[in-house]
Amino acid sequence: MAKIGVFVCHCGENIAAKVDCTKLVAAMEGHPGVAIAHEYKYFCSEPGQESIKKAVAEYGLTGVIVAACSPRMHEATFRTACAEAGLNPYLCEIANIREQCSWVHNDGEQATRKAIEITRSLVEKVKRNNELQPIEVPVTRRALVIGGGIAGIQAALDIANAGGEVVLVEREASLGGHMAQLSETFPTLDCSQCIMTPRMVEAARHPKIRLLTYSEIEKVEGFIGNFNVTVRQKARFVDMNLCTGCGECMQKCPAKKISGEFDCGLANRTAIYTPFAQAVPNKPVIDSEHCIFFKNGKCKACQRVCPTDAINFEMEDELVELEIGAIVVATGFQVQNTALYGEYGYGRYPDVLTGLQFERLASASGPTGGKITRPSDGKEPETIVFIQCAGSRDPSKGIAYCSKICCMYTAKHAMLYRHKNHDGNSRIFYMDIRAAGKGYDEFTRRAIEEDGAGYVRGRVSKLWQENGKLMVRGADTLLGRPVEVAADMVVLATAMVPQPDSKELGKTLGIGYDEYGFFNEAHLKLRPVETATAGIFLAGACQSPKDIPDSVAQASACASKVLALFSRDKLEREPVIAQNNEATCSGCWGCVLACPYNAIEKKDLTDRSGNLIRRVASVNAGLCQGCGTCVTFCRSNSIDLAGFTEKQIFAEVMGL
Amino acid sequence: MSIQEQYRSRAKELLGEGSVKMVIGYGVGTTATRRRPIFITSPDETDRLVLDASCRTNLAGYLLREGLLADQKSIAVFLLPDGVRALNILAAESQLATAQIVVLGFEIKGEEVKPLEGTAAGDFSAIIAERKEQRKAQPSHEMAVKLEEMTPAERFAFWEKEFSRCIKCYACRAACPMCWCRRCVVDNNQPQWVNTSSHTLGNLEWNLVRAFHLAGRCVECGNCSEACPVNIPLHLLNGRMTDEVLTAFDHYPGADEQQEPVLASFRKDDPETFIL
Ligand SMILES: Cc1cc2nc3c(=O)[nH]c(=O)nc-3n(C[C@H](O)[C@H](O)[C@H](O)COP(=O)(O)OP(=O)(O)OC[C@H]3O[C@@H](n4cnc5c(N)ncnc54)[C@H](O)[C@@H]3O)c2cc1C
Ligand code: SF4
Ligand code: SF4
Ligand code: SF4
Ligand code: SF4
Repeated sequence: MAKIGVFVCHCGENIAAKVDCTKLVAAMEGHPGVAIAHEYKYFCSEPGQESIKKAVAEYGLTGVIVAACSPRMHEATFRTACAEAGLNPYLCEIANIREQCSWVHNDGEQATRKAIEITRSLVEKVKRNNELQPIEVPVTRRALVIGGGIAGIQAALDIANAGGEVVLVEREASLGGHMAQLSETFPTLDCSQCIMTPRMVEAARHPKIRLLTYSEIEKVEGFIGNFNVTVRQKARFVDMNLCTGCGECMQKCPAKKISGEFDCGLANRTAIYTPFAQAVPNKPVIDSEHCIFFKNGKCKACQRVCPTDAINFEMEDELVELEIGAIVVATGFQVQNTALYGEYGYGRYPDVLTGLQFERLASASGPTGGKITRPSDGKEPETIVFIQCAGSRDPSKGIAYCSKICCMYTAKHAMLYRHKNHDGNSRIFYMDIRAAGKGYDEFTRRAIEEDGAGYVRGRVSKLWQENGKLMVRGADTLLGRPVEVAADMVVLATAMVPQPDSKELGKTLGIGYDEYGFFNEAHLKLRPVETATAGIFLAGACQSPKDIPDSVAQASACASKVLALFSRDKLEREPVIAQNNEATCSGCWGCVLACPYNAIEKKDLTDRSGNLIRRVASVNAGLCQGCGTCVTFCRSNSIDLAGFTEKQIFAEVMGL
Repeated sequence: MSIQEQYRSRAKELLGEGSVKMVIGYGVGTTATRRRPIFITSPDETDRLVLDASCRTNLAGYLLREGLLADQKSIAVFLLPDGVRALNILAAESQLATAQIVVLGFEIKGEEVKPLEGTAAGDFSAIIAERKEQRKAQPSHEMAVKLEEMTPAERFAFWEKEFSRCIKCYACRAACPMCWCRRCVVDNNQPQWVNTSSHTLGNLEWNLVRAFHLAGRCVECGNCSEACPVNIPLHLLNGRMTDEVLTAFDHYPGADEQQEPVLASFRKDDPETFIL
């Protein structure tokens, strides 16, 4: 005979203000199988839990219902309390009468009726619950970090320095990401490469870090602690073991007119190239799309000059299989394609640049050696107009969010301009100045007060060329009049957007993303670095626009999450897994295909002499994550989920 | 030689040389236009086979009789193009291996029966591809168009009225080549999700559950509607699911035997219009 205890929590006023808890208790007392029903102000408190434990022992309860908040809050609390009182924790269920009842209804009487229904349906379920034992799974103490920008490097170093193994996968030929492209960084104006390259070198040399550059994620299977990842190492055509990085090949390569990605098209590169001088690893790749040999079958100039015979045109992509315990996604961002803004003349006028191009111009390692000159004629610009929010905060162009960094880097650009061209004039069109951050407001004030940044509040409506000048027309909304500036250069603070393939990667990893393609965190406030998929974490600008300090902080937070996971020998998993009924299974393998964790295997049913009778599905308890996908797929209802069996769910529904 | 004679002699040959152990075909029925399935195992009996414009039943389902294919021997079967599609699905769902099946393919155009080239399921891909394009271009039935034009309330009323006649005989299930589950979900009484009594709710549950279980699998052969003793136009309901998977996932049920079940497979470019 079932002896169910029902514990109705007031949650202070949260529940009791709407739901008549006394009435709920009375309704439950009369329900078949309910041995006792109690109410209390806070069952999650020490005394509350004690009273449940006492009742379990005193009445010999066979099941417990706590009618309270969402099971996401306190299911673990109450299940542990029951376990301490000697009741199998899976015989304890939570009836959510707060989030799903008192909080969402105005009418107290109706809310009370609904609370009775919810609780009763759980009582019916728990009567059919079985005792379940937790499953233990091992943890592979190796992390995969995807993306070798500052966020990925930071996460990799933090994990590796604590003794964890790391595989760092970067899709470009070198580590570095955007930070390697920047000139000097706000709010301290330290040289970006000077602070970045030591990190890159440290990551590459670290004995615990395996670096896979020019590589991408092909496939991800498995689950927390036990992922199986396939990485595609793209053919470099240069043998990394033989190459010494001497650079002879790049000198001799006749394909020299290829627009360089690292310099944002402001300089050319060769077909065999390293993206920049301090690249890590400092070994070139052949861009087969532009290589003359790959196009015409003749050339091989690089191969002839290579002193170590490192160049191999037959090289093919390689697939690397990895066993991984946790994944950090740090794939960063892109700057928005400015072609969207015809009115700002990007692409039409050579002296209209993006902020990132300006970084390259101002960078000592850039195409001009750090001299700010016009791409069109090499002259020093006397006036530069900066246009903020070129893309951001403009729902009509599809981007409603603030890119967060542009106010700051535009102030930085104005400063760098003044530091390098002492008579330069800067005019900055802006909507608001958002300088929230340590030392940030002081930084923008400095730009205005010491470095002559001329801020004009308003939008630019038109840009055209006249007598060798770029004419910029806009509105000064503070003075309430139109302004026209004759500029020599225009810099657009283009929006930060997700990587173009971020949705693809999200699907490969099984993590969510927002409408733009930024990856979703599990909870914006309370779980900002976790994804909804256990064991996968987010760092840097792939989650939302971020500057370097924020990216680094989040990367270190990821590392601490990963290390917490690695500090355990085994993970205890909920025994909520699928079970197959071999008698009714027809072996269609629909479930095998549907299972996202490859947890279902094909099993032979044989007679006594070993002859095959049929083949049926069989669930591997170590792999099954209890997602229930197979259950919904099987037409014959041959699969059940322990803890949520068809019988239990049916009873729950019928209890309503 | 008439087409019937051609196919009879082909069957005789197959049985005679021992390359198949059985031929599943059509024989005379109780009326002039009714055909019933016959199962021939000896070359001497092949003149019982009939092939004319009344041979419209999809015979693919008979291949699944428990144990029939267990000895790994081959069986020949008369199939219309939709029957070949059914065969592809059965193979895709691991219920049989097409290598064991010799297809005696034919098609009916108007009142004329035409032979189809080929013996293996894979030989009919061209005509199946053609039918897919036809199916995309036009709905299979006039009534299907009318149903689409109705308001949801009218449509619901239509089906409620149709289903009110259902007597839960499960003839549709028995006739459908896709209804091969060892235990049908309606026969599961632990718990009894689908009500077995033939009242409105139970009837609706049964017919809708069956339609969902046929999503992406129904080949629109019409066996179900033919079998239904109270003439419920079941093919219209099941065909509606075919429209759905065709437009949403470009999935034409039974296009080939590698086809993955549409509801269990996942492609990165699947539309996600249902995610709000
Ligand atoms: C013009 C400009 C100026 C800026 N100035 C400053 C400044 O002064 N101060 C400051 O704090 N911040 C500045 N920032 C912001 C700074 O660039 C970012 O905060 C920082 O680069 C974010 O680092 P990240 O590692 O998240 O991303 P990224 O730097 O974008 O790195 C991501 C890395 O992941 C790799 N990757 C992407 N997809 C994949 C994949 N599928 N597989 C493998 N690898 C992949 C990329 O190749 C890249 O190497 C500026 C940004 C811009 C655009
Ligand atoms: S879906 Fe159902 S019938 Fe098919 S193999 Fe899986 S358990 Fe068996
Ligand atoms: S519940 Fe089913 S589909 Fe989900 S992981 Fe387990 S076996 Fe796979
Ligand atoms: S549901 Fe009807 S039309 Fe569809 S395959 Fe089955 S019998 Fe044929
Ligand atoms: S054949 Fe017709 S009457 Fe019989 S169960 Fe199917 S729909 Fe109902």
